[in-house]
Amino acid sequence: MSCATPLDAAVLADYWLGMLSQPEEEALEEHLFTCDDCSTRLSEMMALAEELRKLANEGSLRMIVNERFLECAAAKGMTARQYAPPRGGKVDCTVTLNDDLLIGRLAADFSESRRIDLAICDGEGIERMRMTDIPFRPGEGTLLLHESITRAKAAPSEVMIARILAVDDSGERLVGEYTFNHTRTIP
Amino acid sequence: MQQVLIITLEALRASRLNEPEKLASFVLGTCRMTVLDIRRGTRRRERILATYGGDLYPSSSGWEPRLDHERLTRCVQGLKERERSVVVMTFFDEHTGAAVAEFLGVSEANVRVIRHRAIHQLRNCLGVTA
Repeated sequence: MSCATPLDAAVLADYWLGMLSQPEEEALEEHLFTCDDCSTRLSEMMALAEELRKLANEGSLRMIVNERFLECAAAKGMTARQYAPPRGGKVDCTVTLNDDLLIGRLAADFSESRRIDLAICDGEGIERMRMTDIPFRPGEGTLLLHESITRAKAAPSEVMIARILAVDDSGERLVGEYTFNHTRTIP
Repeated sequence: MQQVLIITLEALRASRLNEPEKLASFVLGTCRMTVLDIRRGTRRRERILATYGGDLYPSSSGWEPRLDHERLTRCVQGLKERERSVVVMTFFDEHTGAAVAEFLGVSEANVRVIRHRAIHQLRNCLGVTA
């Protein structure tokens, strides 16, 4: 790179997403039209954006989403299989080849919580991984866990326990536990 | 046109347009907002693609190997929870900063910081130098 004032990759992402103000856009474009290095960086950013979009479309990530995410997915024609086990309860579940997303709706009271972790446990209740400091809104009362559909489609019949934990300086307390009895139905 | 018609009908059904004399102004305003949305989204993308599209996925730039799909998946999964949600939701359907901020319960400025940090971490994870 020989550009003396290279544009920041994240700013180029903002530009690609249309999140810059008009003066910022114009200044950036003026630079882009005269700078091959930064044009290349923009191309790289566009490629990354496209891959991230594909990744989200695959439904292969484990993360927390919101209702709007599901609305967008539905608008794209994606099929979301959703399960809502009661707090402290179980639900029988499966996935089919036609499913695009797998969502667990975990209802709980977060009103007193400042930080929430989500522990993913096996059927014995042993914690296998933890999602630390997940995004949540105290007023909503439901977490939308976007589980990897790719993994679920490949998984054998198994039990997964999700535990919502409120964490503060004094330690952690169980807010809710949810058991998913997954039965493999894909040959 | 269809989008404006749908928005107008929804507003009428929801009784948000009780004064007939304001209908024209509502329709015109909705038209303007719809056109602005299009301009800020699709047209920009088309324009930039027309200018720089030829450079996408260059065959010999060395970028392709860094965009190994499995590696990117691991990199995204390696982000902090909030960073992952911000990045995926932003690029999945171009959630605005305000929408993501509402989801996270933080300011738009904070969302911007989170998004920028996540993008830099992804580039580092993918081995892209500054």
